[in-house]
Amino acid sequence: MSELLAFGRFEVGRLLRSWKFLIITVGFPVIFYMLFLGDRRAGRVVDGTVPWRVYLMVSMCSFGALVAALTAGGARLSTERASGWARQLRLTPLPAWAYVAIKVTAIMLVILPVLVLVEIVGTTFGGVSLGASTWVELTALLWVTALPFAVLGVFIGFMVHAETAFPVVTALMFVLGYFGGLFNPVSSMPRALRDAAHVLPSFHDAALGLGLLDGRGLDVAHWLVLAGYAAILGLAIIVKHRIEEARGLS
Amino acid sequence: MKTWNAPTGQESQPAAPGSGVATALRFDGITHRYGAHLALDHLDLEVACGETLALLGPNGAGKSTTIAVFLGLLRPQAGTVEVLGTTPRKAVAQGRVGAMLQTGSGSGLPPGVRVDATLRLVRRLYREPAPFDVTVERAGIGPLLGRQTHRLSGGQAQRVRFAIAIAGDPELVFLDEPTAAMDVQGRRAFWRMIRQFADEGRTIVVATHHLQEADRIADRVVVVNHGQVVANGPGATLKAAVAARRVRFSCDHPDERQLDELEGVTDVEVQGRCVTLNSLDADATVRAIMRRSISFCDLEVTGAGLEEAFVELTGRGRLADDRCEP
Repeated sequence: MSELLAFGRFEVGRLLRSWKFLIITVGFPVIFYMLFLGDRRAGRVVDGTVPWRVYLMVSMCSFGALVAALTAGGARLSTERASGWARQLRLTPLPAWAYVAIKVTAIMLVILPVLVLVEIVGTTFGGVSLGASTWVELTALLWVTALPFAVLGVFIGFMVHAETAFPVVTALMFVLGYFGGLFNPVSSMPRALRDAAHVLPSFHDAALGLGLLDGRGLDVAHWLVLAGYAAILGLAIIVKHRIEEARGLS
Repeated sequence: MKTWNAPTGQESQPAAPGSGVATALRFDGITHRYGAHLALDHLDLEVACGETLALLGPNGAGKSTTIAVFLGLLRPQAGTVEVLGTTPRKAVAQGRVGAMLQTGSGSGLPPGVRVDATLRLVRRLYREPAPFDVTVERAGIGPLLGRQTHRLSGGQAQRVRFAIAIAGDPELVFLDEPTAAMDVQGRRAFWRMIRQFADEGRTIVVATHHLQEADRIADRVVVVNHGQVVANGPGATLKAAVAARRVRFSCDHPDERQLDELEGVTDVEVQGRCVTLNSLDADATVRAIMRRSISFCDLEVTGAGLEEAFVELTGRGRLADDRCEP
């Protein structure tokens, strides 16, 4: 158990010491948030239930979690696997499942401060005010539901070559962000795009956060989609690992 | 080329001197194919506990694949493998195995972290690691501890990777081309270090394509090519084989039996008028040819730089295949 803690601390420490990682993960959601704050729709109501400023904060929380997860996993992990370090760890007693689990956990740990940061921007500049217990509930909810993003980050690191991982990650950030309705409410999109959004985990992630705040509650369908994503991507990582074992990890 | 297969070097017996030495590694008919490429071809291999073995062969001979199978990184398609009395995966999980593998373009180290932090982490992953200072001393990385891993030179990174390989105090260590990024002096120091580590009673397998290095470090050398053991014997036997020369000439009606009795000759190959002799003493052999008045032309004595012997051992050709004019 102590070796898992040591590895977890090592991983989080490496992430927090990486300037590239910090600038992208902190910069992206905060800058996007600031840009959208000047939107002319400010003051409107989204879907008839949610004030625009609340929608925006929850969306930027989701987007922040997504960016953090894809940056922490993605190209970073892909490069690390190509460099031989991941293989070196396989030659220690650390089990293969622990390597993947710690990677996901480390990503989850760095997502939490990103959520808090976006929320701070929300209260200071975004005009969002919530009760203390609601803040805690919202943060906890958005954190737990970020799990599929964390698994997605690791998934990309396992599946995509180091050279191509960066463009793939960038594309994913904007596809999941835009079509998941994080930059624009899904209700304002054409019908086809609205249907397509329901396939994306980013849509369901933000929908749960909004459900908590507008009193509609947490629809079980959202949970199911998110859990499905985490499970399928996690399974794919395991399968990839098995294949590498049979073929030899170069 | 079969001349230097040591009589004791049969694959079925551990080659370490003295019976009753436990077996550290065993390959039994290991076969593995990458697509159409046959990487390991019914390979049998045995390494005794405490032995230092060099796996020698050109690039692509199957050395790295052999090591990958021993480490459980690759599941072979056929054959059985045993490591320290158990399966590769279990031996690794028990923390009894260390390895320094080839890393291609990468450094094999995690970027954005200091050398000491990396080594401390690796130690934590083992139940009974060697003391931190001992590992630092063994690998000679004291001056590198405060450096960032991505700021190391190639040779420095190799040393750090060696420290990582031995951090868990393993009984068995694999080194795949460990001196690849080092200059001559670095190489010498590195081999001294490995020699010391081996002398503590560990089993070490070194894959290399440098004949001299293999000879200097190893108790026994196994030459691998095309996924098979081509030759197998102690370093001294290897040296003797390497000292051998080839004597070639053409003559009418060569008498194979007579040629075989010439001084120094260990092997005779006759093809038409073309004669190739393997000799441990080319001078004596040529004198004997003259004495017996064997009429020859196109006499040629070749051989025997270390590299040439190695090329011969692993090369495609049989003795008299090339360069012999009728």
